[in-house]
Amino acid sequence: MDKVLSARVGKPNSQSIDTYLADGGYASVNKVLAGAMTPEQVLEEVKKANVRGRGGAGFSAGVKWGFLPKDTKGKPVYLLCNADESEPGTFKDRLLMENDPHQLLEGMILASYAIRCRNAYIYIRGEFYDGARILNRAVEEAYAKGYLGEKILGTEFSLDITVHRGAGAYICGEETGLIESLEGKRGQPRIKPPFPAVSGVFAAPTIVNNVETLCCVKHVVDRGADWFLKIGRNEKNTGPKLYCVSGHVNRPGVYEAAMGLDFEEILYGQNYAQGIRGGKKLKAVIPGGASAAILKADEIKGVPLDFDGVAAKGSMLGSAAIIVMDEDTCIVSAVMNILKFFSHESCGQCTPCREGTTWLYKVLTRIENGQGRPEDIDLLSRVGGQMANGMTICVLADGAAAPLLSGVAKFRDEFVQHVEQKGCPFAVRVLTPA
Amino acid sequence: MSAKPPETAPAPAPPPPKNTFTVVFDGKPIEVPKNINLIDAAKLAGVDIPHFCYHPRLSVVGQCRMCMVEIEGIPKIQAACTVPLKDGLSVKTTTEKVRASRAATMEFLLINHPLDCPICDQAGECTLQDNSFGYGQQLSNFDETKRQYPTFDRTMIGPHVVADMTRCIQCTRCIRFAQEIAGTAELTFLDRGGRTLVWTHDGKPLANDWSACAADVCPVGALTVKEFRFRSRVWYLAKTPSICPGCNVGCNTSIESREEIVYRFLPRYNPDVNDYWLCDHGRFLSESLNDRDVLKATIRSGNDVREAIVPEGIALAAREIRATLDTTGPPGLFFLGSAHLSNEENFLLRKLADHVGCPNRDVVVDQSKTRKIKQWNGWIEGNEAAANFRGARDMGLSPGTGGYGLDAVLAGKASPELVVVADADFAAAADDPDKVAALRRARFVVVAARIANALTRSADVVLPAASLAEKEGTFTNVRGRVQKFDRAFLPKPPVRAHWELLLLLGLALGWGDRSWTPADLLAQIAREVPGYGGSREDELAGGELLKKGDFAWAGQP
Repeated sequence: MDKVLSARVGKPNSQSIDTYLADGGYASVNKVLAGAMTPEQVLEEVKKANVRGRGGAGFSAGVKWGFLPKDTKGKPVYLLCNADESEPGTFKDRLLMENDPHQLLEGMILASYAIRCRNAYIYIRGEFYDGARILNRAVEEAYAKGYLGEKILGTEFSLDITVHRGAGAYICGEETGLIESLEGKRGQPRIKPPFPAVSGVFAAPTIVNNVETLCCVKHVVDRGADWFLKIGRNEKNTGPKLYCVSGHVNRPGVYEAAMGLDFEEILYGQNYAQGIRGGKKLKAVIPGGASAAILKADEIKGVPLDFDGVAAKGSMLGSAAIIVMDEDTCIVSAVMNILKFFSHESCGQCTPCREGTTWLYKVLTRIENGQGRPEDIDLLSRVGGQMANGMTICVLADGAAAPLLSGVAKFRDEFVQHVEQKGCPFAVRVLTPA
Repeated sequence: MSAKPPETAPAPAPPPPKNTFTVVFDGKPIEVPKNINLIDAAKLAGVDIPHFCYHPRLSVVGQCRMCMVEIEGIPKIQAACTVPLKDGLSVKTTTEKVRASRAATMEFLLINHPLDCPICDQAGECTLQDNSFGYGQQLSNFDETKRQYPTFDRTMIGPHVVADMTRCIQCTRCIRFAQEIAGTAELTFLDRGGRTLVWTHDGKPLANDWSACAADVCPVGALTVKEFRFRSRVWYLAKTPSICPGCNVGCNTSIESREEIVYRFLPRYNPDVNDYWLCDHGRFLSESLNDRDVLKATIRSGNDVREAIVPEGIALAAREIRATLDTTGPPGLFFLGSAHLSNEENFLLRKLADHVGCPNRDVVVDQSKTRKIKQWNGWIEGNEAAANFRGARDMGLSPGTGGYGLDAVLAGKASPELVVVADADFAAAADDPDKVAALRRARFVVVAARIANALTRSADVVLPAASLAEKEGTFTNVRGRVQKFDRAFLPKPPVRAHWELLLLLGLALGWGDRSWTPADLLAQIAREVPGYGGSREDELAGGELLKKGDFAWAGQP
């Protein structure tokens, strides 16, 4: 497959509107605003293309847009671009924003047109300083060229886009946490229902879409839903997809491929990660960011890297952040490191998450440091199980429990070894500074 | 007369739209109002759904995850407080999943809780303690170091509230109280995850007019009230329904007392008056009920003051009243009631004045700053420094035809021979030497008193009178609502309730019935005073007793 989303990455001046226009950018905006498609037709096309949300949940963007009330009772509709890319192992949106910001803006203009949004926001992760700077410059360029602002291209359609930087909380990538934060409140998820499409930011109907999803929207409008639906191995999982590969591989990075790429292909393929570092054997993979369940080496054979394919293995594609661990890796320390992250990032409102993540991290630390007890292993599973499946407002707790529960279930012998040997027997420990 | 073709029968009127939902709890259907929370609906069905963060007057946040239930048709377990009520909802509260989730939440809440119940004031009225007994387990699997907040512990976060953050369960009720009820938003979450704590913004004090209510809504011992800390175990305290003496809003309170000492006031829940709240000004008057200077009756002759028994003081006062009637007749008498006294007491005083044919009677009240209490549908405000000025006026304590009032006496325009002051603390004037001197121009002054002031020091007969906690009666609030307060304990002899002293004086003057009680007097008031015939029993009784950290729920609204 030719690169679509990352086609312009690496080109000289790929961030400027001039090169973007020279490459045929904003053609869809020109076309649609010239009357080629009504907002309803854009929405239908995106719905038909079944663009599944690239932020992690894999929910159809078109269906999500369809949840907006027909009559908003005078309230504006907001589009929020979720650019708070914070899932450990994920760095695809950053690539898109830093290298091809106008692709995102064009996707947002088309999405805003479809859902009749007048004001859209890009909520960008606070640490993405360059991304925010580049996006702000791109927004200015788009205003200067008349693609943003009042009466775009002389039509009745107006749109303002504001880039808003987050302040460094993982939970603000959860869409209602993002909304609270954008409103200037403490970033913590809201109870649903009501869902954002009914009552989101400023209590108005709101659509929150991921950066990559909105970039896909641009290409769906460019080339049509039928083109999009043909890319992929599974008809319910199609389109171009960015995969983030990190960990013990020879060539980590972001790779674009058709949705449903073979799991082993991305790890070993010449065009992709080119195998495990140092010729070692693969031990385990986390396929969708730190909140996905761990897969053992023998579980990935023949698995298509798409939403349904990875879900069938009891994990999730999530943000397509593939974290690779070789045979020397200590799973206990890997899980400990993940729980350290989640205990730090839990917003603290729900009891099971606030208390559970910290407790798990403490027990895992003890085991890793050689003070574990035999009963600790079942304790981990029990406490992890008590946090998941609806016990909390958002799924952060589920995300913290998934790697732990799968790690204990699939690598129990390693936990036992830690306890029995009173310490870690592995060469590669996944540790971060205290 | 031509026969009309038979008309089609009129369509039966459609059934009136149902204003309730049918909700099924554990298989048992019940009709509940549409606009209530599922937790309250369960309460109506007699089903207890344990919870911490839910409070009927605060926004629903669904954070504590204690109220988990199963809902038919929804695969995942749900926080009951967040489930919108609808017709046909089927709720299961006894399944294994529910039991396990409650046990899980209790386990999580207790791992970092210090379990210092033996030194915690909340013990005995602690929701965490209660739910731990009900849904928790005895032993903990947590073997790590418990969370500490070294710089945030046992700290005064305002003039009345002490924070013990180690006990906090992060339910945010206090934060929401300050934000949504007080509207002052002093409190917030700091930090996140397991380090989350409740604190004041920028260290500014929790100093709104209702700050102690933040401790009231705290389900644990994280926020306690300075004035009550370490003074009594709550299970030793008797709760007596009463009315706040602080202003004319008439907030429903509970006098919490033990062995004839008042330890605190708590609000009683009354949606028509103070809802769940009580202002700090009123709440901390509780301590003043324990004050007493006047232990015995005293009689003055010249500059000598001697102790006497109450009947002696009453007899002397009656003798002097008769003597005055003989010399100057009724115009030589002046009867002063009090906005601090009950309707029954002011009624007795007025009847006594009537009996001797005296139109010179009055009651006054000091104005105070506006006291406000948030109700579910607005605010209720009072601006008088006593609870019952309106009631005292209603009882007829204003100058009758040809009579004069206190103003005339203080201005020297009227010079009574003998003054009966039913409550020596009737207003600030009673401790103002100039005003007392003006009153004192009378030949003879009789007062009933608990606290010594300029007036008691110059009176001829001082009778020892009860505090609010030591008597029963009714007050009429700013909106004309007549509310009963009960006696928490008997006054120590020879102290007597004001109404008893007045009745004794009446009997000495040949009027009244020794068997009268405040209830009899209220019945007389209902017959004789316009507007007092229709008081409903439930209005009289007022709100429901509460314990700290919990709320009663009495249906609508």
